[in-house]
Amino acid sequence: MTYIRSFLNIVALPLILLFIWFLATLGEASFFVPTPQLLVETFINTWTAERFAGDVFPSLGRLMVGIALSIVIGIVGGLLIGSFRWLRALLEPTLEFFRAIPPTVLIPVLMLLVGIGDEMKVSVIVLGAVWPILLNTIEGVRSMDEVLADTSRTYGMNKVNTVRYLILPSAMPQIMAGIRQSLSIALILMVISEMFASTEGLGFTIVQFQRSFAIPEMWSGIVLLGLIGVVLSFIFQLAERWILGWYHGLREIEQSA
Amino acid sequence: MTSAHSQPTNPVISQSSIQDTPDGRIPVGRTMPDEQPMLSVQNLKKVYHTDGGDIEAVRNLTFDLPKGQLACLVGPSGSGKTTLLKCISGLMAPSAGEVTLHGQKVTGPPKSMAVVFQEYGRSLFPWLRVAENVELPLKNQGMDKSARKDAVEQALEAVGLAHVPKSYPWQLSGGMQQRVAIARAVAYQPEVLLMDEPFAAVDAQTRADLEDLVRGIWKKLGVSVLFVTHDIDESVYLGERVIILSSSPTIIQEDVLVDLPADRDQLETRSSQRFAELRHHVYEQIQLAKKGFRPEDAVAMK
Repeated sequence: MTYIRSFLNIVALPLILLFIWFLATLGEASFFVPTPQLLVETFINTWTAERFAGDVFPSLGRLMVGIALSIVIGIVGGLLIGSFRWLRALLEPTLEFFRAIPPTVLIPVLMLLVGIGDEMKVSVIVLGAVWPILLNTIEGVRSMDEVLADTSRTYGMNKVNTVRYLILPSAMPQIMAGIRQSLSIALILMVISEMFASTEGLGFTIVQFQRSFAIPEMWSGIVLLGLIGVVLSFIFQLAERWILGWYHGLREIEQSA
Repeated sequence: MTSAHSQPTNPVISQSSIQDTPDGRIPVGRTMPDEQPMLSVQNLKKVYHTDGGDIEAVRNLTFDLPKGQLACLVGPSGSGKTTLLKCISGLMAPSAGEVTLHGQKVTGPPKSMAVVFQEYGRSLFPWLRVAENVELPLKNQGMDKSARKDAVEQALEAVGLAHVPKSYPWQLSGGMQQRVAIARAVAYQPEVLLMDEPFAAVDAQTRADLEDLVRGIWKKLGVSVLFVTHDIDESVYLGERVIILSSSPTIIQEDVLVDLPADRDQLETRSSQRFAELRHHVYEQIQLAKKGFRPEDAVAMK
């Protein structure tokens, strides 16, 4: 029963929206808004195995590398900056400066500096997606429980073990919250980075459709982007439940008490 | 309880004594001139520097803890008990004076010391299971896996928690969580065990069980225990000696030997006449401390 219910919860709103869309396009359909039937048809015809291999997978590959780099740089940098007061004092104003720069305006510069290949696109993703992870990690390290830190010190925990068993897990709830934000930023930047000087990729393809007035095809690309977002968030939730199982259990008990 | 303004010293308590320091001003606790004490606190002073000015938490404390003794530190709330314990455990540097362990000055948390904190919920790693919590300090020491497993099992057995190694600490009751913290300290095999009001946050019945557990472990392991509490009954029931602290800025009000039999029982011991006398005496001293009586004045008057 509970499975059926949660399944209904997931599909209810999409079904309602589809129905509204269906009704709205029943009569004279606008050239710019295809009917649901047409969109499904177009989707199947457009996103063939070939297109997946040529455009979608390269995009996803860059997205994954970008996210992975953001996570690694964000966590390592955050651990360092959060652990040393002097480093934080030294870097924080400068970090705010760089954080305020939209990565998209750096694309032309990056094209000159690192070329127009994958490196540029991955750089754009990292430049935008690293901030939530970095800042949340710093905050997570700083908000360490004092008693827990004292406990680790009294047991003479060495540096490696302190990071592994104390600092990292204690900052993990905040780190995960940062990663969650970074995922959507990364997806947006993946698309944008492919709109410049590209010959393949999801963003490139969608813009091509737009420019050639292939409206249903363009919409099908947008739908695919949305679906990728859903899958990303689903994978993230699975990972989070696994990594932060202790945190959710603890929260549940604290709230019921 | 009787009124607090009775005489400062009860004649029944023959062991209670305060030694005079050479300058005759600050009273000190028992020190051990002949044999080397396990843990020694000498003229310890701690001043916190805040924006609102300096706060003198601990003025001058001197006492020794011999090997294998269970001593209780008791004092009115705000008497700098936690500050003192932090200085002894090397978590905080004293402003003056020193703490020595086996004659060596304590500058950071010593290897042979374990601390059990009051906030059990914040001293256990919530992301580690019970057995992993107990195991972590041993892992950090580089003990090999099978030895670790045995030590963890034994420690959990000793605190009566052998049945929940796979639980997370937050799934357990408060008393059980504090048992996990004690098991972790026991498995670490310290020479000195510091306990900072460990049972202040558990209910009365659990508390009695935990008190007996601490007595049992102390006897079995021969470890020196310094037990900080604000509970007078607890200090007399548990300790072989009760060090009474004055109100802040803290000095030692009195150092009382507890001559109760070694085998203690929640019912028998607590209803014995001697227990009542000792409790009465300690209570009186605490009341005096609360009122601002300072033993250095008494010593100075002598």
